[in-house]
Amino acid sequence: MILGIDIGGTHTDAVCVKNNVIVATAKVITGADLVDSISGVVRGLGVEHGLLKRVVLSTTLSTNAIIEKKYTATGMIVSAGPGIDPRNYFLTDDFHLIDGAIDHRGREYIPVRKDQVLEVADNLKKNGVDGVGVVSKFCVRNPAHEKKIHSLIIDNFKYVSMGHRMSGTLNFPRRLHTTYFNTAVMPIQERFVYSVKQALAELGIKTSILFLKADGGTYLSSAADRLPVETILSGPAASMMGAVALRKNTHTTLVLDIGGTTTDIGILIDGVPVLEPKGISVGGLKTLVRGLKMLSVGAGGDSHVFITNGNLCVGPHRHGPPAAMGGTQPTPMDALRVLGEFEQGDLNRSRESIAGLARELGQDSKDVASAIVTKMVDTIQKACDGFIGEVNSNPVYTIHEMLHPDVVRPEEIMVIGGPAKNLQSYIEKAFGMKCVVPEHSEVANALGAALARTTAQITLLADTQLKKLLCPELDIDMELPGRYTLNDLISFGTDALRKNTTYLGLTDEIEIDVVEQQSFNMVKGFSTTGKNMRVKLQSRPGIISLWGNK
Amino acid sequence: MIQAKRKTGLIFFPAYDWEITPTHPERQERLLYTQDQVLEEGLLDIEGIHEFKAGLASDEDVNRVHFCVPDVASRITHSHSISAGGCIEAARLVLEGNVERAFALVRPPGHHAMRVVHGARGFCNINIEAIMVEWVRKNYSHIKKIAIVDTDCHHGDGSQDIFWHDPNVLYISIHQDGRTLYPGTGFPDEFGGPGALGMTVNVPLPPRTSDRGFLYTVENLILPVLDEFKPDLVINSAGQDNHYSDPITHMAFTAGGYARLNELLAPDLCVLEGGYSIESALPYINTGIILALAGVDYSYVREPDLDPDQIREDPKVLDYIQELCDALLDAWRRRDEVVSSPNEFAERQRSIYYDTDGISETQNETLRFCPDCPGAFKIDTQASSGYRVLCVHIPRGACDTCRRQGHDWFDSANGRFYAAYLQDMDKDGYQINIL
Ligand SMILES: [Zn+2]
Ligand SMILES: [Zn+2]
Repeated sequence: MILGIDIGGTHTDAVCVKNNVIVATAKVITGADLVDSISGVVRGLGVEHGLLKRVVLSTTLSTNAIIEKKYTATGMIVSAGPGIDPRNYFLTDDFHLIDGAIDHRGREYIPVRKDQVLEVADNLKKNGVDGVGVVSKFCVRNPAHEKKIHSLIIDNFKYVSMGHRMSGTLNFPRRLHTTYFNTAVMPIQERFVYSVKQALAELGIKTSILFLKADGGTYLSSAADRLPVETILSGPAASMMGAVALRKNTHTTLVLDIGGTTTDIGILIDGVPVLEPKGISVGGLKTLVRGLKMLSVGAGGDSHVFITNGNLCVGPHRHGPPAAMGGTQPTPMDALRVLGEFEQGDLNRSRESIAGLARELGQDSKDVASAIVTKMVDTIQKACDGFIGEVNSNPVYTIHEMLHPDVVRPEEIMVIGGPAKNLQSYIEKAFGMKCVVPEHSEVANALGAALARTTAQITLLADTQLKKLLCPELDIDMELPGRYTLNDLISFGTDALRKNTTYLGLTDEIEIDVVEQQSFNMVKGFSTTGKNMRVKLQSRPGIISLWGNK
Repeated sequence: MIQAKRKTGLIFFPAYDWEITPTHPERQERLLYTQDQVLEEGLLDIEGIHEFKAGLASDEDVNRVHFCVPDVASRITHSHSISAGGCIEAARLVLEGNVERAFALVRPPGHHAMRVVHGARGFCNINIEAIMVEWVRKNYSHIKKIAIVDTDCHHGDGSQDIFWHDPNVLYISIHQDGRTLYPGTGFPDEFGGPGALGMTVNVPLPPRTSDRGFLYTVENLILPVLDEFKPDLVINSAGQDNHYSDPITHMAFTAGGYARLNELLAPDLCVLEGGYSIESALPYINTGIILALAGVDYSYVREPDLDPDQIREDPKVLDYIQELCDALLDAWRRRDEVVSSPNEFAERQRSIYYDTDGISETQNETLRFCPDCPGAFKIDTQASSGYRVLCVHIPRGACDTCRRQGHDWFDSANGRFYAAYLQDMDKDGYQINIL
């Protein structure tokens, strides 16, 4: 039996799954203390806790900490060398620039100075900083500077993260943000894991805990301690993975998660959610965190409906609950209530709220109600068009891809979230496409968390001219043997991924994909001097086999 | 967070699956380290810098510029259509107002490709800037006057050839002196056809010219000429082989210098041309150009191995450049005083060598020197690859007489030729008559 818990901003949902069947669900209001919400929702399930073999949590903990800046002062030691002035990306006075320069091939041009590092570390310590992020430009081509700084300061700080361990992807500014946030939320994650373990133990749950990540995969809490930043924005990922679990086919599926305030849009190709190519943003800053490509549009069941210059407007803000539920303003849910599509709440209150708009527009209440729903669905559809356009406009860098583009065209729509059922026919009509509302769609998020596989991605680089092989995420930096091919690199990476499952927080159930593979001849003068090979491997995101998705 | 002062579009197409040969300078690896640098610097995350997808140029786009012998399909590969298509997309972005400026960072290059194409010269099959220019003039009639400033180290003999008779395209090339480098042309006396005098300006710089020499030329010759010409569109043919580390040239320009040049020139469009120091120069030059176009501080961008004292030019070199610029500016300002061809027909004979493909061509060109329009011309061309063809060009804004003359030439081509071709710019028409 496994348990998935999604701690959202408003509600905490839990789902318990056994042998391909949902055996229990529960929902509580998310309180100020997330650990209390977890205990509460688990008690609400009414299942025998001792039988739980897997517990997966999707939390807003690090996302909220970052957005609300609720973390303790965190230092950064940064070496950059020539290029854009790195001070443009410094977020606080605890960011410090030191000497050091490495180029794109990983060659050192300016060394790191020990005395300078120690001086900066001293100052940070004096300012009461406990956590330090260490980042150098092109560290993923040569982590030596980061490792040197790390070794010089590790004894003096409780939390230290290095840029090259965050991701093997090139992007210095994103690496700065990612490493900073990661270091900042490490103590928060540590305290949280400790309290959750205690709370679950008190409930008789002793199994390992996994966390849901932004890419729709999970990792063991041991890896989450080291890389807590990957848990940001796991909420939307939970819903998308729920959609993966609930789908009945491998069509290209547009997924709409319609909530109170917003609708989250994502897309599944062959049952796999599409990722944001460069990394996701949090708190207005771009990071290297691998996450799902999603678009949030301000149109939901509780969107504020109002009139400006004689025009009906829906959203993008929420001004409290629907009138039917005691709110003061009309919402799309009230329109659905008037149209008879929605049965809960006070019909009279809905009628009154819509009638107010109808009087102002000089129209019939029913017409206004259906105009509201149409408007809302239109807003969602426009956003979907833009979203798909963006998915299809990714630049390509080879003639082959240019001539044979993989154009993404949705074949059906899956709608989950509160008002899914009520809006199904309207969406089907507006999009002119089959629209599916799966069973259990109201707990898709918790289900997605429960069933998501563990994932990780590693980056490998082999430069046969400089005779080096690198895997930043696993901290591999070694000399290459004489002859080396792209296949050698792929099999090296596959082995490395399997050997490091514990470190990466993976369970045994992994399938390895080659996400990228490139090999270039390196030439000096007119003769080949070596090969430059780049590979990215991932353990494939998806649903664990227990669910037996057919 | 960094905000670009000017919204800038980047079309990046490194053609990672295309090469002339595996060890040729024009190979798959060429833009790899540039992409690494651009990605690591996070340039594409800067607010106001956006990357867009390249496109494909059509055969019509190519035929608007070239006479491909025997036809387009025989002379180009997909890589060339995408490279030219990338330029067209860049121009579209600017002219549609999506961005203020755009940079087509594409390969293969094009500025050695002339109007007639029997094969590849200087790594170029078709002229990607020229294809862009003609696409712009066809689609945006308000763009009348265009300036191309070619900052590649090699003389852009192809671009010069294509716009030689065009009074509305000013082609300025700064390059390493042709006495010391391929293609061996681009001297000050190459000044434009008889109906377009001054519309070609060549600035041959001595080997080892560095930042001061290049920037002096821009500030004291190119900018004054542009000020007077008042182009509707400025294009930088942004070759990067003037760099001190370039393996096939002998100049001493730097990444910071290229950035400053683009800041001064303020082009609407940049197109990558040559540049083969793929590890030590291109990553830094391209970073500098993108930042300069976007109006973002580039003062910390420099090569990690840069030693400015080592590459500073000899004062004698600077004196030479000053005199050259003075003379050229004077000649340009007095371009109308030059007495043009007094005859109705102006002829020129030329031998052209296609070094990349090993083909020799001889051309006889006849221009109808016209008081009312740029003048129709025909080219009788024979290549060692076997084809002799007649190419007829009726220019934009052609008068009735020139239009009739063009059709007469086309219609009277006989069996001596494999085919006759007719380019009619105002009608955007292209005809082939296989004889
Ligand atoms: Zn060149
Ligand atoms: Zn005429």
